[in-house]
Amino acid sequence: MNKTNYLSELLSTWEETYKKGQLTLWIFLSLKDGKKYVDEIKCFIEEQSNQTMTCESQSLYRTLRKFQHLGVVDFETGEGNKGPERKYYFLTEIGHRLLENFIERNISLFFNKHIKNLITKED
Amino acid sequence: MKALTKNLIFFMIFFFIGTIMFRYSLSYFIENRTYDLVWIIAVIYFFYNFFIGWIFGKKDYETLPLYDIGFRFHFATYLLFNIVSILWFLFDFHSHYESIRSVYVTALFWGIGIIIHLVIYLITRKNAILGIEKSEIFD
Repeated sequence: MNKTNYLSELLSTWEETYKKGQLTLWIFLSLKDGKKYVDEIKCFIEEQSNQTMTCESQSLYRTLRKFQHLGVVDFETGEGNKGPERKYYFLTEIGHRLLENFIERNISLFFNKHIKNLITKED
Repeated sequence: MKALTKNLIFFMIFFFIGTIMFRYSLSYFIENRTYDLVWIIAVIYFFYNFFIGWIFGKKDYETLPLYDIGFRFHFATYLLFNIVSILWFLFDFHSHYESIRSVYVTALFWGIGIIIHLVIYLITRKNAILGIEKSEIFD
C-alpha cells in the first residue's frame, strides 16, 4: 500500500468513528436554526456539513422519536406542500439548554486562541 | 412510560388466537390419545410464538428502542397463556386426561422465570433514561 492510500484509509477510518456521534449535534443545530420537517433537517445537515454527513430519513425519524420521548424535541403539525400534514420539529427548552451546555463543554474549546492556532497552523 | 404499545397489543391478539388454537388441539389430541400429534402441535405453537414475538418485538423496538421490550412481551405472554389455560379448565373445555395441576405447575415454574427476568429488568433500568438505554440515546 502506498503512502497516499494508507493515509486515505486511516482518514476514512478516523472519520467513520468521529462522525458516529455527530448526528445528534447536527440535528440540534438544524433545529436551533428554526422549526423544520424531516426533509429540511436532512438537507440542512447535508448542505451545512459540505456533504460530509449524510443520513437517511428513516433514521432521522427514529432519532427524532427518541428525542421526543426524552423531551428534548417536540413537533407541531403544519401544512405540507399540496400533500399530507407535516411534522415540524423544534427544540424544547430542555433541548436548547442541552445543546447550549454541550457546545460550552465540548465545542467552544476549539475556539480557544491556542487551539484555533494549532488547527490553522501548517506543519 | 407507555407499557401497552400498539405492537404489543397486536402481539397479544395474535398470541391469544394462537393459544386458543393450541389449547383446543392439545385437548383434542390428548382426548383421542394421539400423543405424537401433541408434540407436533407444541413445536408448531413454539415457532408460531417465536415468529410473532420477533415480528412485533422488532417493530416495537424500531418505533422506540425501550430497554424493557423483552420483559413486557414476556410478561404479557405469561399472563395471557395462564389466563387462557385456567379459563379452559373452568369452562370445562379440557380433555378428561388433563389435570389443572399441570397449569398451576407451569405457572409456578414459568413464574420463577418471570421473577428472574424482572430482576434483570430492574438492574438494567439503572442504565436507562426514561426507558432508553444510555448507550442508545445518542448512538
